[in-house]
Amino acid sequence: MIYAIMYGLTVGAVLYLISVGFSLTFGTMRVINFAHTITYTLGAYLLIASIRSLGVPFFWGGAVGVVVAALAGYCIERFVIRRLYGESLDYTFIATYAVFLIGVDIVKWLWGVFPKPVSDPLGKTVDILGFVFPTYRLLVILLAIVVFFGLELFMRKTMVGKIIVAALDNREGVRCLGIGVEKYFSLAFVLGSALAALGGVLYAPITAVHPYMGSHILLLCFAVVLTGGLGNLRGTFLASFALGMLISITGRYWPAGSEIVAFIAMAAVLLARPIEA
Amino acid sequence: MGNVVKERGLVLEKTFVAVGKQLTQAGVGQKVLELILIGVVFLILVPFLGAHRATDFAIFCIIVLSFDLLYGYMGRLSFGHLLYVGVGAYTVGLALRYLTTNPLLAIVLGIVAACLAGMAVGAITVRIAGAAFALANLAFNRVGWFLVMSPLKDITGGENGLSIRNLSFWYVNFRNPTFRFWFVLASLLLVFLLLRVFTSSSYGVLLRSIKEDEKRVRFLGYNTQFYKWVTFVLAATVAGFGGALTALNYGYVNPNTLDVHANAGIVFACLLGGSGRLYGALLGGIIYMLITNLLPVYFQRWEFFLGVALLLIVFRFRGGIWGGLEALYSGLAARAKSGSSKEGMSR
Repeated sequence: MIYAIMYGLTVGAVLYLISVGFSLTFGTMRVINFAHTITYTLGAYLLIASIRSLGVPFFWGGAVGVVVAALAGYCIERFVIRRLYGESLDYTFIATYAVFLIGVDIVKWLWGVFPKPVSDPLGKTVDILGFVFPTYRLLVILLAIVVFFGLELFMRKTMVGKIIVAALDNREGVRCLGIGVEKYFSLAFVLGSALAALGGVLYAPITAVHPYMGSHILLLCFAVVLTGGLGNLRGTFLASFALGMLISITGRYWPAGSEIVAFIAMAAVLLARPIEA
Repeated sequence: MGNVVKERGLVLEKTFVAVGKQLTQAGVGQKVLELILIGVVFLILVPFLGAHRATDFAIFCIIVLSFDLLYGYMGRLSFGHLLYVGVGAYTVGLALRYLTTNPLLAIVLGIVAACLAGMAVGAITVRIAGAAFALANLAFNRVGWFLVMSPLKDITGGENGLSIRNLSFWYVNFRNPTFRFWFVLASLLLVFLLLRVFTSSSYGVLLRSIKEDEKRVRFLGYNTQFYKWVTFVLAATVAGFGGALTALNYGYVNPNTLDVHANAGIVFACLLGGSGRLYGALLGGIIYMLITNLLPVYFQRWEFFLGVALLLIVFRFRGGIWGGLEALYSGLAARAKSGSSKEGMSR
């Protein structure tokens, strides 16, 4: 049971890192960014590529993955999403889905379709009260909490963060103050992409890396964002850990149900509180 | 509450009256002509493709038509439409295995099952506005796929799929490709006629109004949630019909029928032909199937092609092929009008 909780926390941490970016774009622009999955996948693959072919340590491989994925995120925002501002959101969704298809195919072309395992970079375990935990997973959880508080500070203390929070609440109102929100959306988008790539990098040693790894995670993130509330960053934090826990505990007692329990939770939340955009 | 029920009853009644009128009086000749035209197009395709592939094309057209009702007419983009195709297909497979030996009854059961699935999922997803609707449907499609793959493995056969028994019964013989072709063609024409009548009735006007501005329709006193739900269920039902036919056409069902990533194909076909036009859906379905049949011979990277094509459509060619043809036609008509005003007057 303790191990199930531990695993749930790890999954929750990774889900949080990926969901934040998704929540930011969804909350501010109402845009569903399907290409978010591709920055996540790209982060994990770049990590593997740099470890295997360049022989760099895990940390630097991860850094390469995050930076390149953030650049890719910027390109997606600049050349696809920004061109579709003010148009039907369905077109944005289709366009980002198209970017996802292109990205997946490029990943397949470069690295092949077969799953690639990544070994645990630390390989050590910690003994707490008689239970043995891998240190790496503890670090992942810790990192997610650090990111959460870092984001909280960023959103509360800096001007840029305050503008983003205000835009989450009321985009038109911010625009009326004479602030060009697009610039800040772009920043939020790149931040989100970088965090998604970080999630991919951190999750790679826990699961296998394959070209379609993103699409399942994206649906889970969607469940997280809907459960936590649109554009509600604290809600996202709580919901990702709650759903991670739910997935892991269900997996312990009813393994077949662990894949769908998050969506059942999402459906329950939607029944109670419909979304009116 | 009473008012709402009354209002629903009124519009539905109006719709049925209008449907009846459409079927009995106005424009019967035109509709018959349209149906004959579609039939002829498919008959022309047969010598080039063979009956089996032409059947495939027609089934895909049924699925795209059902998607077009939801996306093209009501403006709600769903990325989980294959769920209902899969439900229809699996119900036919399971019904023929365990319940009945009559394929026609199995088709009816498949349609009913897809309708029920649409009712359940629609009740939840229709409440979601904006692009989140697409993703919520995708999530439910994924749940369905997973159910087939893992928890229900014992009866659905999991990854291996399900071969269908009892394909022939009485005069109905789904082992015969020629029979299959005629049966599917007749189904396509039936579906087309139904959707044609629905979309040109007052219900169809309501759908297009919801697409334009849902809030205003609500201000007019219509319960838009209810109509969105009805349309969702209708689209799911027709898609289930398409799925049932798919199962009978191939003689087996596998989880690929409800693969979440294949939904992009339907969306692409609908946009390619021109969304919001039934002819566009037909044209898109045929051209998409031609591309999928021919392209792999020359070009391996299918997803890359699909992605680039989708981006091009979204950025440049929103109207699709049918929209382009219409623009061309109206441009030519306008030129003809300005060229000789006499001709224009007589029009």
